[in-house]
Amino acid sequence: MLLCDAAHNKMHSDEEREAHVLVIGSGGAGVRAAIEASTYGETILVSKTLAGKGGCTTMAEGGYNAVLREQDSCDIHFEDTMNGGALLNDPALVRILVDEAPRRMEDLLRWGAVFDVTDCCEVAQRPFGGQRFARTCYAGDRTGHEMISTLIDRLHSTEVWVENEITIISLLKDGDRVNGAAGLDRQGNLRVILADSVVLATGGGTKIYDISTNSSSGTGDGYALGFRAGAELIDMEQIQFHPTGAVYPYDARGRLVTEAVRGEGGLLLNINHERFMDRYDPQRKELSTRDVVARAIATEIMEGRGTVNGGVYLDVTHLPRSQIETKLPIMLEQFLKFGVDIRDEPMEVAPTAHHIMGGLRITPQGETTVPGLFACGEVAGGVHGANRLGGNALADTQVFGRRAGDAAGRAPSLEKIADTMGIDAIQSRLRTFDQGDVQPSTVIRSLQVAMWEGAGIFRNAKDLEKTLGIIDHLSTLKMKAPARENLAGCCIAGNMLTTARLVVKGALLRKESRGAHVRRDISQAWDNRTSPYSHTYQSLEREGIEVRP
Amino acid sequence: MKELRVRIFRFNPEAEDHPHYQHYQVRANDGARVLHVLQAISDEMDPTLSFRYCCGSGQCGSCAVRVNGQAVLACMEEAKDSMTVEPLELPVIRDLVVHMEPYLEAIASLIPTGEFRMPTHEEVEAMKPLRSCIECLACVSVCPALKVTKFAGPTVMREDMRLAIDPRDHEDRVTASVADGLFTCTSCQACWKTCPKDIQIPGKAIEKLRALANREGLTLPRHQEVAKLIQDTGRSVTRTEPTLMEQVPEVIEPRGEVKGTVGFFVGCMYNQRLPKSALDALEVLKRNGIRVIIPREQVCCGSPLIRTGQVDFLDTIKSRNINCFTFRGLDVVMTMCAGCGSTLKHDYTTPFRIMDITEVLTRFGIEQPAPLAIKATYHDPCHLLRGQGIRDQPRELITKVVDLVEMPAICCGSGGGVKSGNPAEADALGELRRAEIEKTGAEVVITSCPFCEYHIAPHTDKPVKNICTILLEGYAEKDRKERPPA
Repeated sequence: MLLCDAAHNKMHSDEEREAHVLVIGSGGAGVRAAIEASTYGETILVSKTLAGKGGCTTMAEGGYNAVLREQDSCDIHFEDTMNGGALLNDPALVRILVDEAPRRMEDLLRWGAVFDVTDCCEVAQRPFGGQRFARTCYAGDRTGHEMISTLIDRLHSTEVWVENEITIISLLKDGDRVNGAAGLDRQGNLRVILADSVVLATGGGTKIYDISTNSSSGTGDGYALGFRAGAELIDMEQIQFHPTGAVYPYDARGRLVTEAVRGEGGLLLNINHERFMDRYDPQRKELSTRDVVARAIATEIMEGRGTVNGGVYLDVTHLPRSQIETKLPIMLEQFLKFGVDIRDEPMEVAPTAHHIMGGLRITPQGETTVPGLFACGEVAGGVHGANRLGGNALADTQVFGRRAGDAAGRAPSLEKIADTMGIDAIQSRLRTFDQGDVQPSTVIRSLQVAMWEGAGIFRNAKDLEKTLGIIDHLSTLKMKAPARENLAGCCIAGNMLTTARLVVKGALLRKESRGAHVRRDISQAWDNRTSPYSHTYQSLEREGIEVRP
Repeated sequence: MKELRVRIFRFNPEAEDHPHYQHYQVRANDGARVLHVLQAISDEMDPTLSFRYCCGSGQCGSCAVRVNGQAVLACMEEAKDSMTVEPLELPVIRDLVVHMEPYLEAIASLIPTGEFRMPTHEEVEAMKPLRSCIECLACVSVCPALKVTKFAGPTVMREDMRLAIDPRDHEDRVTASVADGLFTCTSCQACWKTCPKDIQIPGKAIEKLRALANREGLTLPRHQEVAKLIQDTGRSVTRTEPTLMEQVPEVIEPRGEVKGTVGFFVGCMYNQRLPKSALDALEVLKRNGIRVIIPREQVCCGSPLIRTGQVDFLDTIKSRNINCFTFRGLDVVMTMCAGCGSTLKHDYTTPFRIMDITEVLTRFGIEQPAPLAIKATYHDPCHLLRGQGIRDQPRELITKVVDLVEMPAICCGSGGGVKSGNPAEADALGELRRAEIEKTGAEVVITSCPFCEYHIAPHTDKPVKNICTILLEGYAEKDRKERPPA
């Protein structure tokens, strides 16, 4: 590994390390990719946080969708996923997701995952929104945590070299091909890793919104890194607003309240104690798809039927106390910490930015449009279309994490030539943060508020254009790093601006309402099936919306 | 919005010799957590403040810090005015950021067996409580054994136990856990009480592993001797002088009006080694109207067996102890030994109520003793403070007599079979107590557990006294003052 002192622009290589595969990200997809890639050659996994602690996998509560029972079928799972995604999903990717999810679940079980089981020693499954079969496997309401514990455990049994707390700030290229990445460690030293192939598994980015379920690492770095390296991204306008985020305390607003609450029988009620989902989706009610439920809640609140804290009630008090204690222990514990005993009183919830369905365009092997660069997990697009089903993301991380790791591992070994021009450009950019005058936190706050107000659940061209103007303005500000340790923070703020721009431009490109993307300024004469449009796409070279043949 | 004053530990080991504390005045929203205050400082006042966090919802275990001395998750702990925020007691990288990797890497990985078998419902239910660990290392940071001896730490034990019961794992976890320091745990319960996920590591992992180790013949020889002694004599220690029960009748009537009656579970240490403290206690009870009944058939509570995993004949002991009090129709059985009390409360199912003597005395109320001009410190017995949640009652009694100077509540090293099995570790922890006692400037150390009394005494030049002894001294002073001049 090459080490460069960012402040003094000296490059030295006292700890030179190259690898066959570089995986960026330590959530479910990244770790799964690294485990797979390591069977082909030396693999380095770089994590912005301590491996396994960042990302959203560890926070994922509800479950993992997999067809495990005779009565269920992969065809039904396929249809549920396509319909849930407003038919914007890439059918080939969905086919792979549903076919391989059970096998990847088997991997996890072999590696020691402790999922809830039935009396017959089968993995237990619960119902989730938008699915015709109860196929969501779970470990209480800490499913993602159980998965990441298992994956990190497995990772320790491999030869993968883990680099903790390095923020990747740029991909490096040799000609057209991505052949490494540059990052900043805790102290702000620039570190360069070269590899035959690079897997982006950086997760999502809904931290660009004021109210979000994401962890501190959900800053959209991967979208920005990929975009700047020339990769094409699709459907970036498709942001999932999870229907149920906490509204109190203020600083923890947006905190995920798992869909498992509704899966277990939780009811949504407005201030008049009316079960309002009867009006929005009389068949599926609370277990409608997330886009529908989120809009219903937002509408109730906007029309004055919300609580004083700006939410609606999510009530489980009618359920047996033991069911709440055993199936929703994390929810019980979290709300108790905030002074609400959910066994006796309802939760208050409101929509919160949760998941980016769009992302880097990938092939079934996880290849992006740039040679040498692979993507998997939330940073990749196409699997979930215009609305992701709850429980499909965890499955996605395993199915496409393994595929991307496998394909990256199979890539040929090449001579690794350091991208000196790229590194020089990075160093110049870092030097600008010495001279800046605005805290990155100021930029981020302004961005989050602008995105929530102008590119939220309900959209129109005027607000989107205005938001774009704000992003443009924020992009001109000179950010300041008071110490070298703060350089990464400036780069992350820059990534958030890039990701936000992709979201807003995608939203302007898609002149229809589809799934999670609602354009109130456009009336359309088609439904999901008859829509003339397919993916929006954006890259350094082109942007537009695909028209269906 | 509210204004909070906070004091934060700052340290850059690369540039500074010593840490310092910085004060901030922060505006915070209603219900703000400690994390939100740190973020506000970093965003608006001082971007150089280093701290870790990720999920912000208590699930990733990145943000554990000490708030007013207690290890907590910054994202879940409500921010309070005048709070002090410090890093966990682990090597500091910068400010509130500590080295976590070495401890995380020490946690064992599952090695799959050739033949896969799905765990049963029962096995899953047994593993689940051990799986909710978020590896925040709060437990590791408070573990006293870790500070003085080679011990992989509580969360390693937790995962060793989980792997030991997982049918998918191939390795011998019990032998591994012994090598990891299974017998160095003093069962002080600090790990459990600090755990944000409430994982009962001593009871659900360490004692269970010790029981499995016992089946494999790995119990320490010294612990086997104790078990043999209990089996042969009913007592875990030999007598060194006339026992308490040899010195007092079965029923001890109080002076004056009878306010209540309790059975007295004496315990091996007070009966065989420290009868003087027990006699002092009986005097205090007598003076305060409490009738005490001491069934002669009682034997060791079994705590030394449970803590060391030797549970073969535990049930016989339990029923003998329960029966002797039940037979006498007692509703309340009093313990004076913190270890016996905790064992009777948690490891027994009794038809009567168990109360520590400090609970009995504060419940019935005691005659005011004369204050003594003595500065004293109090050592919280682990099995009283964490085992029984008794913190205030001893202090209520002590402050009737002396000036109390507090010291941190840390294990003295005598529990969990460590004093007999790992005397060097017990002594090292005892020496840490000596240092804390010195810091207080106290003239006397007060405690309420025979193991602590017995163990701390050689580790301080100050006298170590039972709470009742101090109360009795207060009464003696009162009597002296009230005695008419000759």
